[in-house]
Amino acid sequence: MAVCVGIIGKDNSPKFFTCLNPAEELNFQYKVLSALDVVEEKLNCGSKGATDLRELYLGMLYTLETHKIYGYVTNTKIKFIIVVDSTNMALRDNEIRSMFRKIHSEYADIVCNPFYIPGEPICSKSFTGSIKNIMTGTV
Amino acid sequence: MRSSVSYILSSSTSEPNMSHPDYEQYSHDHAALLVLVRHIGNQLKPKIFMKFYDRISKINSVKITDSTGIVRNILIRYVKEHPVENNDWGDFQTHRRLLGLVSLGKYDSQQELNEICRVHESFKVKYNSTLFDSRCILFGPTKESESPADDSPSSGSSGDSENNTDYVIEKFTTPSNFKTRALFYDVSSPCVDLESQLNEFINSLFWVLESKRLERSREKLERVSLLLAPFEKKDFVGLDMESRNNKKRCTGRMTKHLGDLCLQAGLLCESLAYYSQAAEILKSVNDWLWLGAAYEGLSAASALVLYPEMQRNISLHRNASLQEGSPRKSSQTPPATGIVIKKVVANALAPEEMSRRYREAIIHYSKYQNAGIVETEASFKAARIAVEQNHALQAASFLQNVVYINLTLSEQEKIQRFETLADLYTQIGFVRKAAFCLRLAATRYVSPQNPAPNWARCYGLMLQSLSGHHLTLDPVEMREADQGWPALQIQLIQELVVAARRTGHSALATRHMTFLLQTMWQHLSSTEQKELAMQLQSLSAQCEGSPVPLVLDSGLVMPPANLTDIPVCASFALKDLQPHLRPRRIECVKQETGPFLFTPIHFGGGSLDRRSKKANAKMDFLWVKNEVCEVQLKLTNPLPFELKVSNMRLLTAGVVFESVPETIVLPPDIPTSLTLSGWARENGELELSGYSTHALGVKSNCRLRHMRSPATFPPHYKVEVVPSLPLLEVSTSLPRSATFSNFHDDSTVTSASTALYHGESTQCTVTLKNVGQVPIEFFEVEMNSVLDPALQEQIFSWDKEEVENLLPIAPGHEGSLVLRLHSSANFLAPNVAVSPTIPQDVSSGLFSSMSASIPGGSLPSRINSSFRSSNSGQSSLAGGLAALFHQHPGTSVVEGQLKLRYSGADGIAADYCRSCSVFFMLEMLPSLHVTNWDVLPAEVNSQFYLVLDIANLTNQEMELQYTPSKTMLIEGQESCRVPIPVDRCPLSKLCDLYHELDDNTKNDVDINKICSGHITQLVDLRWHLLGTGSRGVAPLNGITLTSRMLDIVRMSPLDWEVSLNGDMVRTQEEVSCEAGDCLELKMSIVNSLEKTLRQLTLSVQFYQDYENGSLNYRMDTRLAVAGSTKKILSVLEPHSKANHECNVIFFTPGQYKMDIQCCAPDSQSVARVNPLLSTGHTWRFTPTILIQVN
Repeated sequence: MAVCVGIIGKDNSPKFFTCLNPAEELNFQYKVLSALDVVEEKLNCGSKGATDLRELYLGMLYTLETHKIYGYVTNTKIKFIIVVDSTNMALRDNEIRSMFRKIHSEYADIVCNPFYIPGEPICSKSFTGSIKNIMTGTV
Repeated sequence: MRSSVSYILSSSTSEPNMSHPDYEQYSHDHAALLVLVRHIGNQLKPKIFMKFYDRISKINSVKITDSTGIVRNILIRYVKEHPVENNDWGDFQTHRRLLGLVSLGKYDSQQELNEICRVHESFKVKYNSTLFDSRCILFGPTKESESPADDSPSSGSSGDSENNTDYVIEKFTTPSNFKTRALFYDVSSPCVDLESQLNEFINSLFWVLESKRLERSREKLERVSLLLAPFEKKDFVGLDMESRNNKKRCTGRMTKHLGDLCLQAGLLCESLAYYSQAAEILKSVNDWLWLGAAYEGLSAASALVLYPEMQRNISLHRNASLQEGSPRKSSQTPPATGIVIKKVVANALAPEEMSRRYREAIIHYSKYQNAGIVETEASFKAARIAVEQNHALQAASFLQNVVYINLTLSEQEKIQRFETLADLYTQIGFVRKAAFCLRLAATRYVSPQNPAPNWARCYGLMLQSLSGHHLTLDPVEMREADQGWPALQIQLIQELVVAARRTGHSALATRHMTFLLQTMWQHLSSTEQKELAMQLQSLSAQCEGSPVPLVLDSGLVMPPANLTDIPVCASFALKDLQPHLRPRRIECVKQETGPFLFTPIHFGGGSLDRRSKKANAKMDFLWVKNEVCEVQLKLTNPLPFELKVSNMRLLTAGVVFESVPETIVLPPDIPTSLTLSGWARENGELELSGYSTHALGVKSNCRLRHMRSPATFPPHYKVEVVPSLPLLEVSTSLPRSATFSNFHDDSTVTSASTALYHGESTQCTVTLKNVGQVPIEFFEVEMNSVLDPALQEQIFSWDKEEVENLLPIAPGHEGSLVLRLHSSANFLAPNVAVSPTIPQDVSSGLFSSMSASIPGGSLPSRINSSFRSSNSGQSSLAGGLAALFHQHPGTSVVEGQLKLRYSGADGIAADYCRSCSVFFMLEMLPSLHVTNWDVLPAEVNSQFYLVLDIANLTNQEMELQYTPSKTMLIEGQESCRVPIPVDRCPLSKLCDLYHELDDNTKNDVDINKICSGHITQLVDLRWHLLGTGSRGVAPLNGITLTSRMLDIVRMSPLDWEVSLNGDMVRTQEEVSCEAGDCLELKMSIVNSLEKTLRQLTLSVQFYQDYENGSLNYRMDTRLAVAGSTKKILSVLEPHSKANHECNVIFFTPGQYKMDIQCCAPDSQSVARVNPLLSTGHTWRFTPTILIQVN
């Protein structure tokens, strides 16, 4: 079960951000923002090699005392970040991966929506709902 | 990385602890000799101390040849502070020991010198346990004569001084209590031998170290005492020191210690060997702390092998301005040798290995709570190596570890830790993380735990962290970029505002708050917007915001922040002047050609491009110097409370512009219009780039290009300002019209209306007053209407000379112009003979273009509406009104526009004028109407009668004067017939036509025109309405005549001579004879034209007129003709004569009439073209000859 999910655009501006506890949103934003440094670094390293065949899943970006942060970058440089409670040992790497894959497909759906302008912050309620479901693992 | 056993293994914190972390350490510092450089006394200025400190720090690497002749590279690290507790860790890592002391002091008197020496000695005592040697650099009083070329000394006092070369060696032997070698210098002198002195000092340090190292290395490893880290002392109480395990521990620790010493003494290879040896030994006895130290030493030594340049690069960076004598040059060579060494040196670690070892070392350290600082420092060192290796992620993980280390540190040290972290994060390009750390450091400065909050530092750090959050201080850039994390940015700016306010920079606080509102508006919730706006208001109450850059003490320039969107500007429209005030070109060559100026081709790309281009374009109207120019704004207050915006002015560039400040109170969310006005004080191009406001206590320059509004504005509007022009006030003597204009030229300033009967005339005086500042020197009058120009001239006319005589009209003076109005109309009913083939200009075509002429009036409105779309097309209506042609004329309204164009002074020179117009509405009432007309031959051959049926269309009695002597009264709505004798149209008017008689079928038309003109000219109908006293005329313009009529109207081209029985027949003369008499009829015709007539048929016909309308041509039983009644004349030359004779005998008495006529053949061709027309030219001998047969 993830505590926070962020979708960050190409220009590293947040497109979507949600967390289970809205009161902590600002804190999570700081964490996710810091994680972007790592994402960028990983992408930079990757770009030296074959970029096309890059694995979208970046794995764990870094751990904090209370949280673990995972990253996933699409081929269009849209970044998905999942923050997981460190005490949560139940989540395995594979589950994180599948969460990312679900988020990716949700994101693809929202981009397909003709009423959504790519690059704008996402404020669709149904999207928020599905992401929350993915976070809580009720999908 | 951090092990959880740390708390289990570590003892209580009461143990001596190294409480002062040194975050600046590099792994290379393991090899450096630590030298403290102290500033003693108050005499020496900090700046000078720093200068010398920098100079001393450059000597960070010295080459010393040892006893075996090998050159050792000795590194030295200078510090300004060294907590004495750190010396306690000297056994653990020898580089922590303070080996040397250099103190700097300045004295002016012996007493001060003594004091400096005393302080120096006290430092020596303080670091006594580790200190090898010390130097005291003393700056004596300046002697001006000594160095005249030098800069003026900072201390002006003069006195005795030692020469800079004059130093005293008092080492070991001097009985005085000051046992340090003192170096005496002059502050302002170059101190040339300072470097050599320090080299010598370092040499001495080295030799002491070398001796210690040798001493240690000669010790038997089995016998050595246990080396302890400060906090370990208690741990080993009661342990069996003789155990094998402990022995090994002792050995391992000593080996590690030797490694340290070797490293410091410049023996890399030896140190590596010792370290790896130590690591093996210590690993076997699970001595984690020392194992960590051994690994760290190993990595540090390897780093020194692999990256000998690492630290120096940084120090090089720090001291950008190096001078001669610096060790930089000497250190430039090692890289090559370094690579060689790397290959040769055994035990040196590979780069990846290095990080791994460091990681292990850190893990081992982490098992001991008291080793927290060592761990922290190791993390930083490891991170720096990772930076050098360009492994950002690795560096990040080392740095991340730092945060977890739980240390009891002072706030200052915590802040330093974050600052160092930020610095390193920046180095690896983790700007966000760096910004985060900076922000944390900033908050630490003012945290409640901090005993001495420093808001200024907090503010400074906050500023530094902006870039990491994608924040720039320039709102314009910021809005363009529009990226980053708004929620975090908002928080950061808010913190910045608080910091600035607490620091005491209210101006900055206001600036930042303005910036926040300006850039983050869209990301704020409405309550936040309101709250922040209120906050801004209270901040600006302390210091008003203004749009000027602020310069901070640090030299940072804070760009201005303008509230361009409070209030929101929805439209910014430059107002054209009132139509009658607009300047226009005097030379207006190109008139509008009509409404149909349309091309489907869009030049220059798509329509969107075009629109945007248009928005950028210069305004297509002009403003006038010294006259009020206006810009209309539509403003919306986005805040939920009333917003007072004061001092709103236009921002202009180009010509001088005087703007009138405006103040407006905007209610929430209701768009409010506001007009900003001003005067251009020069002519030229004026550029309007926005407006300035003073809202929420902040003065802003709201430039259009910076606005983020629903409407996109061009960066600026340009408008041309023309020189001053005069201004006319126009009034007329006629009453103003109730309705105003079907013309939509709105430059109309006044109007005049009157009603006239058809044919009536009146005058109107137009008074012109110059109310402007400059005289009128150019004046032009023009009449505009939808009428045909010729007709218009009939209706409206004025004296052009009078207009010219008006000029000039000085300011404040008046002139007047008389305009004559005439109700011109078509008095003729459409004649039956008028056929569509006759072009309208011949018939009453002039009137066809009149605005309206139908009673009943449903149609006029329709026509009027069509005028609107074609106000400039003056003749386009003719066709449309053709249908009206057959209608009886009724009341009609003619609208005209008297266009006045005037200018003066500079305006003329610049080719500009003003134009205003007076709207005239002329109601034309029907007076009389010719319902029918005919021509009859008159009693004399030279005249004919025009018989008119005239209807009085008014309700009054009308007196009609139809000839100079004859008048007639017609009752209202009555009609009567009047015969008007008219001279026949002379041939002289027609002769031109006969020349082309043969081949031109059109000539009938021309004849018609000429004849109708002839009639119009001669017939002068004047009417007088007895009721109202109105008088008028009724010209018969456009009367149409049939071919038959024409032959009567015009003189015959043939001169007739007819004789009966030898007597010439005269008009009005009756011929009488007896039945049975033979009458000899002779006739001759002379062609009076200049042209040969061909195929003429001369014929004689007799008939009886029963006077009841029927004519009897069947005369066979009543008379007989001897000779032919017809004769064909093939050719009749001009002025030649043709004769014909015949005889007639009347059988029965009675009244006979004889008709003699001559037909022209071209009639046939006309008939062929149009059978409706008459059967050609028939010229009769008129009047018919009446023969009374008795």
